[in-house]
Amino acid sequence: MTNAFMVSGLTKNYKDFALDHVSFTVPRGSIVGLIGENGAGKSTTINAALGLIQKEDGVVSILGREELDGDVKEQIGVVFDGSNYPEILSPKKLNQVMKNIYRTWDEQTYFNLLRRFSLPAHKQIKQFSRGMKMKLAISVAFSHHSRLLILDEATSGLDPVVRDDILDMLLDFVQDKEHSILVSSHITSDLEKIADDIVFIHEGKVVFEKPKEELTERYGIIKCGGAQFDALDQSEAIAYRKTGHEWQVLVSDREKMQKKYPNALVLPATIDEIMLLYVKGEQ
Amino acid sequence: MKGILVKDLYIARSNILVTIVSLVVLGFGLSFLLETSALLVLAPVASTTAVFISITSDAASKWNKNVITMPLSRSRIIGEKFLFYILLALLGMLTALIPCIILACFGLDITPHSLCLYGSMGISSCLLAGGISLPCAYLFDPEKSQIVFMMSFMASTGIIAGLVLLTNLLFPVKENILLAFYIVLIISVIWFFISYRIAVRIYGKRDIT
Repeated sequence: MTNAFMVSGLTKNYKDFALDHVSFTVPRGSIVGLIGENGAGKSTTINAALGLIQKEDGVVSILGREELDGDVKEQIGVVFDGSNYPEILSPKKLNQVMKNIYRTWDEQTYFNLLRRFSLPAHKQIKQFSRGMKMKLAISVAFSHHSRLLILDEATSGLDPVVRDDILDMLLDFVQDKEHSILVSSHITSDLEKIADDIVFIHEGKVVFEKPKEELTERYGIIKCGGAQFDALDQSEAIAYRKTGHEWQVLVSDREKMQKKYPNALVLPATIDEIMLLYVKGEQ
Repeated sequence: MKGILVKDLYIARSNILVTIVSLVVLGFGLSFLLETSALLVLAPVASTTAVFISITSDAASKWNKNVITMPLSRSRIIGEKFLFYILLALLGMLTALIPCIILACFGLDITPHSLCLYGSMGISSCLLAGGISLPCAYLFDPEKSQIVFMMSFMASTGIIAGLVLLTNLLFPVKENILLAFYIVLIISVIWFFISYRIAVRIYGKRDIT
């Protein structure tokens, strides 16, 4: 098994939205970032893969198994946006619940993580801040020896310090080559820090699935005026858009373009800029 | 299943305690006005309200979404709610028996006949109501579910009356009242089981977001 997670041809139709044959993989030992604007289909993809919603077509394979049974779920840690635990419980009571759900529940790891995150074990979850709730959800996901973590917008709305703590934990997690992470987020700067591969989803379709290095090291944006834009070979542009008097042109090989157009200003592209040009630019 | 049962007990703990104390107090209070064993009709119904507190809490905290990702099948998740309902009904029944037994020790006239009659009425009413409201809790949003929950008890009373009238066509109920209510109880148990199967089918196909 080389892929920890694989979706192929995943399809789901709603009245006003469709997930259209979404396919991508999360190789074992890697972190894959699923990016896209709000409503692009990131959560729908995750929900369909996890069996929360019924898929209409396609294949999902998690940890080498197409059937998402108890044994597979035992090895997946899922963190959604928000803690999703009954707010009347305290972390200590949650431990009593979880140890009766997960066969592999590790109380010691759980309480160590509570201490590491400075989470009070006896306080009700409803008294927790959003950051504390997310830390608790992550503590739970880490406490049953998961081999695959799936995080759906788990870092959204958190302050940079908490986000950085969580990103460090994720990087530690994949030090074990058996561990893998799929993380969906629209905070692309987080993914630039940790992801090995980026899957960009837009209007229910996968636009690209590429190594992050390729995007950050090779992709570039030509910033130019109208005359210079007209002189460019349009076939080399992935997408372009006009902002004020300036044209921005996304290219897949910035060094090649710099050589070809020595007078043009060719800058490295951030994932945010690449996403923006795909979504708002013309292709 | 044990884990989610523990979770529901934590959520409904205070409600369960209040119900137990209220039933005991009511049991002794009723003894001055009417037959204490009549409390057995009310007890299972009153004690099962805690199930709907847990269902509302699950919806509010989005636990329903989280639990699907845990190593539990959907039928087990539903099964736990039905099991919790039955456990609470039995707890209510046992609680109502406490004042009955104590008062019987002090010489009050509480007969096995009245205990069996009111007991079967209470459990039948509870199972019929739960059989209506529990699957609906997975069909509708929490607000509508609560309305269905309240209406289900009225409906169960009507169903029991209807079943007794039907039984009366087979034999005179007045002379065999206990037998008539045992038949109602058996029908209620079968209905509750069918309702569980229906709820599993509904929940199994439902998108949870």
